[in-house]
Amino acid sequence: MLCDDCKKKPASIFFKDVSGGQIKEVHLCEDCAKKKGILSEKKLSPLEVLQKLLKNTSHEDENVICPVCFLNLAEFKKVGRFGCANCLNVFEPYIKTMIKEVQNSEKHIGKRAKPGGRRAIEVFRLKEELRRALEKEAYEDAAQIRDKLKTLGVENV
Amino acid sequence: MFDNIKWLISPEFNQECEEKEIVVSTRTRVARNIEGIPFEIKMKNQDAEKLVQVVKSALEMNFKGKYLDLNKMKPLEKESLFESHLISPAIIKKEQPTAVFISEKGNVTVMVNEEDHLRIQGLSCGLNLTNTASAVYEFEEILGQELGYAYNENYGFITSCPTNLGTGLRASVLFHLPGLVYTNEIDKILKSTYSLGMTVRGLYGEGTEIKGNLFQISNQHTLGFKEDELIEKINKFARMLIDLERKARDVIMKRARFELEDKIYRSVAILRSARLINSDEVLNLLSAVRLGIGLGIINFLEINVLNEIMLITRPGNIQLYYGEILEEQERDIRRAEYIRNRLAKIETT
Repeated sequence: MLCDDCKKKPASIFFKDVSGGQIKEVHLCEDCAKKKGILSEKKLSPLEVLQKLLKNTSHEDENVICPVCFLNLAEFKKVGRFGCANCLNVFEPYIKTMIKEVQNSEKHIGKRAKPGGRRAIEVFRLKEELRRALEKEAYEDAAQIRDKLKTLGVENV
Repeated sequence: MFDNIKWLISPEFNQECEEKEIVVSTRTRVARNIEGIPFEIKMKNQDAEKLVQVVKSALEMNFKGKYLDLNKMKPLEKESLFESHLISPAIIKKEQPTAVFISEKGNVTVMVNEEDHLRIQGLSCGLNLTNTASAVYEFEEILGQELGYAYNENYGFITSCPTNLGTGLRASVLFHLPGLVYTNEIDKILKSTYSLGMTVRGLYGEGTEIKGNLFQISNQHTLGFKEDELIEKINKFARMLIDLERKARDVIMKRARFELEDKIYRSVAILRSARLINSDEVLNLLSAVRLGIGLGIINFLEINVLNEIMLITRPGNIQLYYGEILEEQERDIRRAEYIRNRLAKIETT
């Protein structure tokens, strides 16, 4: 069924207008529904809001760089994304107000990360080490790595 | 592959669904990143490969389910996972190694290497925020012990985008609101949604159109709230919206009962006899029938059957269902055939 208004696009919004004692079925496409104020115009996503806010700020030291992933402030402002976990520490002084504006808050009060516990990461690292040791035929080292893996609960290596 | 979408229509997914006439489904997700691995914009292929491997071993050591390497999957299979709400459009587009884990029960999925290293997502039919959140946090805690999350004392869990900082929690509810659309109250309500710190989106999330009177509502902010506060906030809003929708439905029943009944029965008739039908038309017809069930006008059909038809008739899923690549018109023919056969099994009383 085509839209009652533009008669071009397929109607995707159907409603009965029951105002004034008259019942009238209305079929509109998305665009015409927006024009008539039945559906809201698309709102900016939080990222778009953030990018807009960042664009409007100027910093003298736009070359300030994250020493871990080498993302600089100018690039961050363009994409609105961090390059690594350390970026937050580096750029925080420059983006504090924007975060507050977008998030409506500046302090996390939810669950905290539990300290320690990176077993899977350690297992991965040791497996890589084991692979290299075996390639070099360093069997004593390989045996030691296997023991370490066993203590982490990994059998059959 | 079809096994992976079966869970959405399985009895397990459909049991204990609260408010299923008005709420189609609930999704809760948390974004997490692993300390020491670069984020999306600075990630090299070898980092992505490491991430996929590490998460795979962490998941396999602790949970039962399927771990799927997305890069090895056919486009149609990925499309189907997306249509089934198991993966996001963003992860489909990525060229680097990505993966998805689907828990044995099918109620939790973990996307690996989307915008964040991990997107842990809980799904359920109906309004079920508390249960989906607790299923997600069971995964979140164990994976945190295995992997070590990036965390900041002040800003909480560090995410790729600052708009997810803090809890990294996004809870969304997919509403079916024909009453509020028919009575023309929807716009006013959606405006209040924004001012209450919530976002409205279409069926498939950010940037997708609103179709079939389906509206997805989720929290806008992730920082400055405790997890259960956020869940409660959305739950309260959902209850209010359900109440408003019920009132709107009463209004239409009083003012335009016969027109409404006519539209509902005609929709059933089209679904039962169409020979060509596109996926958007299905959404609109299902919307009328779903409303009919909610109002007690239709009592020979179950909401679960509608959910199943809605899922299987999406463009990717219908091809997967028939096991072949189909041109658009062929899809419309097969879609109509599938619906006719599905409804033919059900007696009209």
